[in-house]
Amino acid sequence: MRSQARRVTLLGAALLVGAGLTVTACSSGGGGGGSGSTTVTIWSSVDPPVKAGLEKQLVAELGAQKSNIKINWQTVTNINQLIITKIQAGNTPDIAYIPQPGVVAQMVNLGAAKPLNSVVDMSSLQQNMVPGMLQAGTINGKLYGLLGSANVKGLVWYNKPAWTAAGWQTPTSIPALTTLMSQMKAKGSATAPWCLGVNSTGSPGWPATDWFETLMMRDYGPTVYNDWIAHKVKFVSPQVENVASQFSQIAFTPGNVYGGRTAIPTNGFDTAGNGLFTTPTPKCWMYMQGSFITGFFPASVQKSLDTSVGVFYFPPATEGGQKPVEGGGDMITMLNDTPNVETVVKLLAQPQIGNDAAPTSSFISPFKNFNASLYPNNTTRSVASIMYSADDFLFDASDAMPAQVGAGSFWSQMVAWIGNQVSINQALANIDQSWPATSS
Amino acid sequence: MLVKALTAVITVAAGIGAAFVLYWILNWISEHIPGDWGRRIQPYLFILPALAAIVVYTVYPAVLTVINSFKDNFSRHWIGLANYRALFGSDAFRSTLFNTLLWILIVPAACIIMGLTVAVLADRLGPRGEKTTKTIIFLPMAVSLVGAATVWRFIYDAEPKGSTQIGLLNAIGSIFHKGPVAWLDTSTFRLNSLLLMVILLWAQVGFSMVLLSAAIKSVPTDTIEAARIDGASERQIFARVVVPQIRGTIVTIFITVTITVMKIFDVVYVTTGGAFNTDVLGNQFWTQISTYFNYGAASAIVVIFMIAVIPVMWYQVKHFQTEEAT
Repeated sequence: MRSQARRVTLLGAALLVGAGLTVTACSSGGGGGGSGSTTVTIWSSVDPPVKAGLEKQLVAELGAQKSNIKINWQTVTNINQLIITKIQAGNTPDIAYIPQPGVVAQMVNLGAAKPLNSVVDMSSLQQNMVPGMLQAGTINGKLYGLLGSANVKGLVWYNKPAWTAAGWQTPTSIPALTTLMSQMKAKGSATAPWCLGVNSTGSPGWPATDWFETLMMRDYGPTVYNDWIAHKVKFVSPQVENVASQFSQIAFTPGNVYGGRTAIPTNGFDTAGNGLFTTPTPKCWMYMQGSFITGFFPASVQKSLDTSVGVFYFPPATEGGQKPVEGGGDMITMLNDTPNVETVVKLLAQPQIGNDAAPTSSFISPFKNFNASLYPNNTTRSVASIMYSADDFLFDASDAMPAQVGAGSFWSQMVAWIGNQVSINQALANIDQSWPATSS
Repeated sequence: MLVKALTAVITVAAGIGAAFVLYWILNWISEHIPGDWGRRIQPYLFILPALAAIVVYTVYPAVLTVINSFKDNFSRHWIGLANYRALFGSDAFRSTLFNTLLWILIVPAACIIMGLTVAVLADRLGPRGEKTTKTIIFLPMAVSLVGAATVWRFIYDAEPKGSTQIGLLNAIGSIFHKGPVAWLDTSTFRLNSLLLMVILLWAQVGFSMVLLSAAIKSVPTDTIEAARIDGASERQIFARVVVPQIRGTIVTIFITVTITVMKIFDVVYVTTGGAFNTDVLGNQFWTQISTYFNYGAASAIVVIFMIAVIPVMWYQVKHFQTEEAT
């Protein structure tokens, strides 16, 4: 009797174990894509509407080519972190959209990103992209990160009806901007020339670095700017000190910024711009931020963007001087070098890939020959044309520098300096000191 | 949906089945080993699966972390003590250590004092009053620290002078026409760190109060009455009679809160991100590993943390053993 019961129990247990093993085997077999797989996995952290538009166009083009390639495009949060972890776990997607050149450099360092030079049409890209866009993703002479979407910084936003009523003219040089600021202050203290806010949840200080970068590239040009990113021009240097003094003239002179110097560290970058639209009197005339700030303006402004809002390029250092534009964007990186993946990368590197995303989202194409009529409003068109007509496209320096500086000390020292806790010389010295000794 | 439910059921059943088979096999082994040995090693065989799990999932990673603290950022090359030297040589990290030390010194003590105060005072109220007070004080424990920090961020919020203040503190201040104070940005005398500690205290006092209240109530009344007969004042009774008898509970709470405080991360991350001089060890570890991808420095921070925790843990085990003995 007992041995019978025991045998039944044993049989039952064996069946359970067998079931468990089969389930595990089945699930792992179906999920993994092999090297000869027809599924290409793409990861990105871009806005869902942008991703949806790009994916739709990609699938349509693959269908038109009668290709059997299937696309598995995932939106992930914080791809910068995730991709490095996954590379070390040996579990990467085929293609990844990376928003920071510094992270692309890490990927190359780990041997995970493959060069794109033989995959994409380099001469056509050089012709159709703004100079500098390819350099941003070029490491050791090879292209590893190809800009797939762009956003523009160094833009000055203003309240269009109020601006025209007051009769202000768009300044075309930094001295003209300074004159404009004095005229604005003379008009009345109710409206300050600038709104400025450097606070941001979890990462305070990055808007101040945008100001430094904007001034740096206009004053000294792309070569010095790139040397600055490569730490050949240190933070303790005449160039950066000059930029810091320019910024303090604009931001710290009493009456220039709404709320004064003490409010700058507390004002959020997302809400500071709303001062342009307060009724009956706006709190400020101008707000400098990136193209994405339109998504943070009050709802009523967003609904009537073209009539409520104007934008101009932060003026060059001198009348007729060089006009580099600061920007960012997501760079296409290739982690698996198979024919199917290469086909997909080739398609993603074409201007037409943005045809569906442009009208339906905040997507801006990095290609000069992109069909600009597809952009949803004139504001986006102006922003895009500012980028296309620039002499150089320079990636946001704090995204290109090593993270300890670009996402660490540069931000925190800016906040400390603006908050009057540290002198500018000490702040710049601290940033230099924090530069990693060897980026291995 | 059905497939997922079915997979879950099969997985659970398979897990139980596998454990059953494993122990059956271990039992079979111990029964079939000749002589006395079988019976002697049987308990060790049965401990083996659990021990193996602990070694693989706890001891092995701990050893690996210590090893990684001597390697570079992607754990590829040995760099000796460079990580430790870089950390201790940087002003920012020393400030972080100082902040963590402040947290450790202030929060557990404050938690116990506040818990004791509430427990003793609530004790004097009638039964309903006591229950209501205790429920209210205990409620914040139900909120996650992230939620608590988000709420308190709004209390400390500051808008530029002239705009409507949405932060509670500054809104009250604006009634008295006192200009807005950027509470979370003010690091003079570490004011913002103290304000962040308030958040943790708000969430933790309930825990301390409940345990201390139970301990106070379990003090035998005859000792108190004896003291009263001997002519002791209320304060003397509390300090000399009640507190020594609840010492065990106080120590337990102290240790628990200290360990919580040493690990604190979410409060700082959600409010200031470690900026304005509020950085603590837990947040710095996160920054090193997630923003800087410096596994070497992150491992070094963890090792520092492990070394700092050892005395606390040793004291807790010793305390636990003395409690067990009585």
